Amino acid sequence: MKKLVSAPVLFAAAGVLLVTGLLLAFLYSPIDASTMGYSQKIFYYHAPIAETALLAFGISFVAAIMYLRSQNDKWDRLGVVSIRLGLLFSILVMATGMIWGKAAWGTWWDWEPRLTTFLLVCFLYTAYFVLRSVVEEEQRRATFAAVFAIIAFIDVPITFFATRFLPAGMHPTVITASGTGMPGSMFFPFFISMIGMTLLLVALIRRDLVVEELRDRVADLKHSIGG
Amino acid sequence: MSGWRQFMAILRKDLIRELRTREMIISMILFVLLAMVIFHYAFAVKEDVDLTYFTGGMLWVTFIFAMLLGLNRSFAQEKDERCLDGLLLCPVDRVTIFFAKTAGNLIFLLIIQVVAVPVFTLFFVQRGYGADIVLFVVVLLLADMGICALGTLLATISMNTRSRDLLLPIIFLPLIVPLLIAATAATTTIFATGASFGATATRLLFLLGFDAVFMVAAYGTYDFAIGE
Amino acid sequence: MTIAEGAKFVAAAYAIILAVLVIYYFMSARRVNTLKRDVELLEQEVQRRQPAAGESGD
Repeated sequence: MKKLVSAPVLFAAAGVLLVTGLLLAFLYSPIDASTMGYSQKIFYYHAPIAETALLAFGISFVAAIMYLRSQNDKWDRLGVVSIRLGLLFSILVMATGMIWGKAAWGTWWDWEPRLTTFLLVCFLYTAYFVLRSVVEEEQRRATFAAVFAIIAFIDVPITFFATRFLPAGMHPTVITASGTGMPGSMFFPFFISMIGMTLLLVALIRRDLVVEELRDRVADLKHSIGG
Repeated sequence: MSGWRQFMAILRKDLIRELRTREMIISMILFVLLAMVIFHYAFAVKEDVDLTYFTGGMLWVTFIFAMLLGLNRSFAQEKDERCLDGLLLCPVDRVTIFFAKTAGNLIFLLIIQVVAVPVFTLFFVQRGYGADIVLFVVVLLLADMGICALGTLLATISMNTRSRDLLLPIIFLPLIVPLLIAATAATTTIFATGASFGATATRLLFLLGFDAVFMVAAYGTYDFAIGE
Repeated sequence: MTIAEGAKFVAAAYAIILAVLVIYYFMSARRVNTLKRDVELLEQEVQRRQPAAGESGD
């Protein structure tokens, strides 16, 4: 892996970009002209967090496939770490999404595609950890978890598509600021924050991988002492 | 033995076993019928409330939960009687086992539905939908395939864990929601307004796609799910 | 909704993001230190037991 860029550097770079993005969002970008008004500013972190969460789950998908092919534990660790972080970011997406919804539409909850998809994503990946918790044997646990991670990730875009296009009598999707028709003055801070969040994810993954390796090491040592 | 003959052999074994005792099918049928009664009282807040637009939802929620019961039962039986271990000792392609089990579960689900749908129609559907019966059967088959494929894969996993029947709903339900959305919308449209093919086409295509995607995924991962 | 009202929601959202990320960062940093210490202690213990067992360690 990237030994060239150490974790502290990644964290620092992420921090710098995120703060820059934040400042740009508030000082440089115009206030949204639609009915959302000032609350649209939530978008500048909300959307990057959402995309980073999906990136984390994408990483878990690749890690799962690699584990099934190689049976190497490091892929299992990457899977656990990326899903845990993806779940964390997904919860943040929902929290900020609900706050934004309250500000923009007046209700805390709406069954619109994005919120609903992330809600299901939270259930899905929580189930991943429930599955892990009921399998005792290590290799089997990692194998089952990998199978589930693959199925789960495939289901994410399917779920988004289903919630968006299929229900009967759906009201039209409301949030428009995250479409491609974004003026440059809005896109630029979003883009900076997006890179910053991605770097933050990578840094957190690296740190958490160390945690998982150490955990496994502790378990091995305890085993060789007590066993 | 060729793949097809292995498939038929396993399928026949499962069907004969169940048809001999009929425990699972009877339980599932009773569950589905009781659920309908419960639904009536759950929604009968007002006199003469019209449940036409709830029909799809009621029907598919019931079938999905009945399937969870059935899957738990059939796999628990397998595990306890160690049938699966015996099967794994034979030179059978793991994927053949998957298809055979999925087919078996599909047949059980269809049997339940043949009984349940007329009763459901009697209880809840106001509109005669004779002309749309073909469309409805198509929806039924497509949705059933997805439920059985995904259910069989996940039940194989959950049966090998510590809290077997408790785990299955947790891992199954979030995954099946998209299928539920499509099947519910299509069914409600058929019962409520008698949709033409065009109106339900998107949902049918979606169900087809869902089935295809998860069949392929199950095909690729079943070796790992069935373990040793 | 006035800018002032909107700003309250925006502030709440960013505050939550900051709080959660910062807390997670420090929690994982602490976990790394605790585990590193555990590994050291356990490795010392393994060393200690090696000559007593009379066989090479794991």
